[in-house]
Amino acid sequence: MNCERYRDRLIGTLASGESSLAGDVALHLVTCAQCKKFHEAQVHLFGAIESGVRAMVNETVPATLLPRVRAQVAETGAPRRMRSVSWGFATVAIAAVLVVSIGLLRRSPQYVSKVPSRSSVGPQEATGTRPALPQAVAAAPKHHCTLAKTATVPQETGKAPEVLVLAEERAAFERFVTDLPEERDVAVAYTRPATEAKDEAAEIALLQIDELEVKPLESSNR
Amino acid sequence: MRELVLIQPGRVLVGRSEREEENSRAHREFEERLAECGPLAFRVAYGVLRHVADAEDVAQEALLKAYRNFGRLREPARFRGWLVRIAFRMALDRWRSAKRRERRETQGEQPEQRSSGPTVEELAASSEFRARLERAMEELPEKFRLVLLLAAIEGYTLEEVSGMLGIPMGTVKSRLFFARKQLVEKLR
Repeated sequence: MNCERYRDRLIGTLASGESSLAGDVALHLVTCAQCKKFHEAQVHLFGAIESGVRAMVNETVPATLLPRVRAQVAETGAPRRMRSVSWGFATVAIAAVLVVSIGLLRRSPQYVSKVPSRSSVGPQEATGTRPALPQAVAAAPKHHCTLAKTATVPQETGKAPEVLVLAEERAAFERFVTDLPEERDVAVAYTRPATEAKDEAAEIALLQIDELEVKPLESSNR
Repeated sequence: MRELVLIQPGRVLVGRSEREEENSRAHREFEERLAECGPLAFRVAYGVLRHVADAEDVAQEALLKAYRNFGRLREPARFRGWLVRIAFRMALDRWRSAKRRERRETQGEQPEQRSSGPTVEELAASSEFRARLERAMEELPEKFRLVLLLAAIEGYTLEEVSGMLGIPMGTVKSRLFFARKQLVEKLR
């Protein structure tokens, strides 16, 4: 083995923090003056690095640090409980996105294109190029009413279809979204599993009726 | 929404009292850790910045950030490692912005040349060596640098560093090995 390899092994030993050299390396140092000198220089260098790094981190901690942190903590108040709240809102947000996505999906051309074939039982289709809306709607089952309406939009305008929802659904959803920021606890309660509270049997007092007046039914008088 | 509250009328109130209790507990737990972890955060920051006032600022910010998010920590036993990473990251950010400022101000300055033949003590004590060591440390990959700093902090064994960072002992040793080797190559 040449000196270069011994030197690599020397550096490896010092870098791994081991104090003793392998037998053959130690033997080589006895016979090779240059490698011995190299070894001494490396020991010095590693020692200097070690003490330099130690000096770099073991600085005296300022006495003002902890009081400053405590003061800041007192100003800040309670730590955040972001996990449960954020999960709650994330779930609600995902649900909202799903609702919108399903709405868009239902409006997609692939889905909408099925509707005329379902409503093709209308008598107008055989005669005209465009099926008349009222007949198509009348012929279609009730739950296809919205789809039948929306199917006419691309044909008339040629633009991207808009999402049409029932007015009641829209109003309910708007109310839900508007109330959500004010009702965080309720939103969290929706999404958070209920704590395992021990239910106790409720005691309900017996119904007491002091005066009971029984009147005959009108039909019994006849 | 209202109906849910009416069906379980005690639910919201119970949640609130539980939250107050949780906050109070989190506050107590944080206070218990502050005495031990405050100096640790400072030393990690100082190892990067090498400026007492800056390191104190960073340690304070890191501790405050850790406190704010203390309730999110799933395993409180990992607080030390979590704080160390926050402090290290914040210190690096501050160091980088300071470096950018410095570069703008002193462009074209050449690095200092190494001297030859000093003893270990002279070498370690000389400001020239310190400056070169600092530069060499700055060039180390972050994961090597963090392990090197933590292993050099008094009172922390390699096992503790391993537990703190959540990495195996062998990984700590190999990172130390490569860190030292790279430093030597840069400083030789």
